[in-house]
Parts: sequence; structure tokens; C-alpha cells
Amino acid sequence: MDRMDHTDHLDHGARMDHEDRGPGGGDRWDGSDAFERQLAQLMHRAQQPAPFEARHREALRAGVRARRRVRTARRAAGSVLAVAGLGLGLFLWPHGHTDGRPTAPHPRPMISPSPAPSTSPSQSPTESPSAPPSTTSPATTTNSSAPARTRTPSGPPTATAGTAHGATASYRPPSATATAPAAGGTTAAATAPVSEPAEPSGEPSSTIGATG
Amino acid sequence: MEQTRAGEYDAFVAARWSVLFHLARLLTGGDRHRAEDLLQESLVKLWFVWPKIADEAPEAYVRKVLARAAARSARRRWWGERPVEQLPEVAAAGDMSATVAERSRLEAALGQLTPQQRAAVVLRYYQDLPDRQVAETLGCPVGTARSHAARGVARLRRLLADVIEPVG
Repeated sequence: MDRMDHTDHLDHGARMDHEDRGPGGGDRWDGSDAFERQLAQLMHRAQQPAPFEARHREALRAGVRARRRVRTARRAAGSVLAVAGLGLGLFLWPHGHTDGRPTAPHPRPMISPSPAPSTSPSQSPTESPSAPPSTTSPATTTNSSAPARTRTPSGPPTATAGTAHGATASYRPPSATATAPAAGGTTAAATAPVSEPAEPSGEPSSTIGATG
Repeated sequence: MEQTRAGEYDAFVAARWSVLFHLARLLTGGDRHRAEDLLQESLVKLWFVWPKIADEAPEAYVRKVLARAAARSARRRWWGERPVEQLPEVAAAGDMSATVAERSRLEAALGQLTPQQRAAVVLRYYQDLPDRQVAETLGCPVGTARSHAARGVARLRRLLADVIEPVG
């Protein structure tokens, strides 16, 4: 009852506030004409008494119960979905970890001047020293491709080490080439095909090309 | 606690049922069954928020739910309404009182409006709400609400020209 008094008071207050604005005084009645006023009266007049019957009360109760059931079911379904999603995520977690490994090789640097000679000398000493044609063929290509390098260590054979180091810095396979100058005398056996042409004094340039 | 809540809720519904049902009926263009469904749906929603808004303005909440649901449901479903040139429900001279005939004519004319126009007109002229509150209730800008109401009234002016006689 208190509530009803409160709402009635609110309604009455709103109406009074509206009437304070009055016809032509507020934004509701601004510019209103006779038709609009009669339309408002007609809408109020058209109201017919509609008592709140027992069937309405029962329907409301049933509606509240149904909505409560729907809410409960929705909440339960949400919980089940959340748990299922969590479980699925945990189940798929290790697979996702293994699949995430990179399978492709690392990209090689594209700035090397000639990758062909760098690969072939690395293969030739390791695979078989008895395959001089493979080393000689890149040697010839190196000569043609990088004449500037062959020109720099044009001095004594000791410059071979310097050129070898330079080659190690710029090219990938340092192992094969590094052993050549570091081993010194041993390279004679390891790089037999390489050292064979080294017998003439003018040939170290080709050796450098092979290592470089 | 639950008993108190239910008692207050029942008292509110019993006291405001008639007004709210008439509002729902105007909002649905006179469809009695749809108005009952709409009002019941709104009051069920009110039940679940009753503890929060019982001390504030429960009727304003129901009004907002009613108006928005009326506009939304009319957009979502087709209720078999067809716009016609002539109003189909013409009151016979002797079988209905003048008030009932007037009401039927009003509801039929309201049924010719779009749901948004009808809601704006009803809120403005039946609920006596200013434009700002109409817009707030419908959830649209003030200019839009004003436009809906103006177009609705313009159409009602044509439809109800013989019911509401021009004064002066």
C-alpha cells in the first residue's frame, strides 16, 4: 500500500509537473493544436476498466516460473560450455605445442656474393679428396666471378691465410677453408687436389678462390 | 523476504493493471491478446528486477519494456496487418455505444501507423511524456522521437478527421 501511495504520488507529481508546463507552456504542448488535444482526450477516454483477475495472476506466476527455469537452464548450459571449452583447450594444448615447431630451414643470407663456390669446396674436402674435378670446377668459377679477391692476396703464399680468414668472414663454410690455412702442412694431405696445383708459385690465387 | 516482495509486487500489478493494459492495447493497435501477452512479458521481467527498482519507478520500467517490445516484436514478426485505404472496422449505428465505437476507431487508426510512430504517439499523447522522455523510453534520439510523433499525428489527422471534429 505504501508502494501504491508512492507511485501515485510520483504519477501525480509528474502530471502536476506536466500541467505546470501547461498547454502551450512546455515542450509537449508547444505548437499543439485542437486536434492533438482532442487526440489526447480520446486516448484517455478510450480506457476501459480491466480488472486484474485470477487468471492473470496465474499466468504471471507461470511466466515467472518458466522464466526462472529458462534462466537456470541457460546458466547451467553456460557452465557446461565453459567447462567443455576449458577441457578442450587443455586437451589440445600439447598438440598445439608440438605442431608449433618450425619445420622449414632457416633462411640463408642472400648477400653472399657466390654461394656456389662456398658449398662445393666444403663438400670436396670432406667427401673425398680424390675428387679434384669438383674442386677445380668451382675454382675456375671463382676465378671468373671474383677477380678482386684473387688480386688482393697476390703476394706470397702466406697471404693465403689472410685470404682464408677473409673468406671465412664473408662465406659460410669456414671449417673446410679454415683447416686449410691452419693445418698448414696437413692441408697438403687434406687438400691434396688443392695443393697439387699449388706447386707452381702462380697458383695460390686459384687456391684462394677455391677456399674463398 | 520473498513474501514481502511478492506482496508488494502483487499490489503494484493489481493497482496498475488497468492503466498498463490500456497502454499495451494502444501500443499494439487494439490487439487485445497481443496486448495481454506483451503486458505479461513485461511484468515477468519486472518481477526479476523488482528488488532493484521497487523504490524508484516500476511503472516507468514497465512502460519502457512495453514500448520497446511492441516496436521490436512488430519489426520481427508479421502480425497479419495490411495497410488499407478504408478502415475495415466501421461502427454500426445501433449495436455499440459511442464510446466503444470511438475506441475501436482510434485503435484501428493506430493500427495503421508504423510501430515506432504508434509508440511515439501513444507515449506522448496518452502518457503525456515530453519529447525527451519519449526518446529515452524508445531508446532513440530526441529528433527521431519527435519525427515519429509528428508523422504519426499527421497520419492520424487524416484517418480520424471525421471522429475528431475540427474546432473553430
